[in-house]
Amino acid sequence: MNPLFYYQSVAVLLLGLGFYGLVSRRTLVGMLIGVELMLNGAGLSIVAAAQLTPTDAVLGQLGTLLVMGLAAAEATLILAIVFVVTKRFGNADADGPRELRG
Amino acid sequence: MARLNYISALGPIAFAFYALITLVGGGLAVTSRSLVRAMVGLVISLFGVAGLYLLLLAEFVALMQILIYVGAVSVLIFFAIMLTRASADGGESAGPGWRGLLRATPVFLLTVLMVIMLRVYGVTGADTPKNIPVSALGTGLLGPYTLPFELISVVLLAAVVGAVLLAFEKRGTS
Repeated sequence: MNPLFYYQSVAVLLLGLGFYGLVSRRTLVGMLIGVELMLNGAGLSIVAAAQLTPTDAVLGQLGTLLVMGLAAAEATLILAIVFVVTKRFGNADADGPRELRG
Repeated sequence: MARLNYISALGPIAFAFYALITLVGGGLAVTSRSLVRAMVGLVISLFGVAGLYLLLLAEFVALMQILIYVGAVSVLIFFAIMLTRASADGGESAGPGWRGLLRATPVFLLTVLMVIMLRVYGVTGADTPKNIPVSALGTGLLGPYTLPFELISVVLLAAVVGAVLLAFEKRGTS
């Protein structure tokens, strides 16, 4: 059995765990934790695929650094969104802001 | 020769250890009833992924993982938990409920299906990872991958400006 299979399996399981958190959590912060897990699975998959195949390793590592930067930007924005939602609805439940009103 | 065999036997053990840390931390992060504990589980999982990066000989990515995720993103999440202040547990004490479990069923099926497809169709890869120096990463950032580097800085700037704009409280209007 190939080492790449094990790394990709861990990445897929991380993706599944994060997806489970995303759909089963009630609050926005819990969903954010799920999204971070999914992004980690993506980064692990990219690095494993680039390090263990003849692909350019620089491409894989820089791609993962790009994913980390996007995750940081996304976490910043979600922090602001959680702040606004908490101010307006009193808590950060995902069920609160489900109606769009002008 | 025997010493070499011992060392090559350590690899799978280290991999199993880090994979276990990663998956247990992830499980804690998505199932814990308290959001602070969920965040601690996320941090454990992030450390496990950093260890896996080290095993893949991507040491710069491993350091950045600890610096960015464990250092910055988890602090941001902790701020978010503290800002919501709905209750001590962060509003997750009721658990996912039957609706949450129902929504999670396709996720389980999808994950199992993906692992089975990985197993059936197989992945071909080398036995040992490549090792490139950090200077190669720097050369890549200044050479062929300059545009993504500049674009991610623009995205970060837009995110910071958007966050300040969203959270800024206008005096007298709200």
